[in-house]
Amino acid sequence: MVTGIAMANSPLQLHQAMGYSLLVYAGTAQLAALPLLVAGAPIWVSVMTALMVNLRFIIYSAGLRPSFRSQSLGMRYRIGYLISDMAFIMYMREEARWRHEPLRAYYFLGLAFANYVIWHIASLIGLVGGALIPETWGLAFAGTLALVTILVPMLVSPAAITACVVAGVTAVCLRGLPYKLGLIAAIVSGVLAAVLVEKRAVTHV
Amino acid sequence: MSDTLSLWLAIAGIALTGVVTRCSFLLLSERLRLSVTLERALRYAPAAALSAIVLPILVIDHQGGVALGWSNHEWVASAVAALVMWRQRSMAWSMGVGLAVLTALRLLG
Repeated sequence: MVTGIAMANSPLQLHQAMGYSLLVYAGTAQLAALPLLVAGAPIWVSVMTALMVNLRFIIYSAGLRPSFRSQSLGMRYRIGYLISDMAFIMYMREEARWRHEPLRAYYFLGLAFANYVIWHIASLIGLVGGALIPETWGLAFAGTLALVTILVPMLVSPAAITACVVAGVTAVCLRGLPYKLGLIAAIVSGVLAAVLVEKRAVTHV
Repeated sequence: MSDTLSLWLAIAGIALTGVVTRCSFLLLSERLRLSVTLERALRYAPAAALSAIVLPILVIDHQGGVALGWSNHEWVASAVAALVMWRQRSMAWSMGVGLAVLTALRLLG
């Protein structure tokens, strides 16, 4: 819903915002790439940024593989397509119980599809509702605020805080670089700094 | 290239990143495993990306300089929203307070 409201208050037209939401189905990546799309950043920069935000799905995909390794390729594709933060967390909570159940793939698909449908309905409500709210309410800022609220719960370890600080400060310092190259450099340096911090923490224990 | 076409190309590319990352290990050969270092890198990429997007939007003013004072309403409002999120863990509360602070600062300033 928040994604919908943010898109309704961006210069994207209604059909563009709807297509964006229906095709992408990744609220955080959508919110992160939105200011870049609006600013007319190069395509590859928007895509790279969305990729960085979506990289967590690779971890989910690897986490789900033991459960579904006996499924057909088509089934595994369907399972993958419907992965979301919520579906992964809900399934993994019960994973030990479902591991040997023959119907576990259907359990996951049901759960994930319900999330998928509810997410899209909420996003459309936000999109249509957000367009009706007058601009003076300052909702244009909602997308940025939403990103802040998504970022805060991620900061659970020294390494995560390092990633956030290094990436943020680098992005501000390198803002003058053309083609938003500073943004990409900032993300890469944030990730490298976090990996170094965590490595150090592990070897010192 | 027209703006509309490049917008749709960007959207298609963004959609593709979702499908490729989600399906990656479910479709790849069993022999491939996620190394510990790579998993760490993947885990911190979202926080780095969000921060690299958000911080410049918040702290850079219209003249292109860095503004960290009270006069930067959006910076103050999001700092308050981040604090509420940290304490309450509620996105609705945090965003509501953030928008309220922003509106109040605008009316006062």
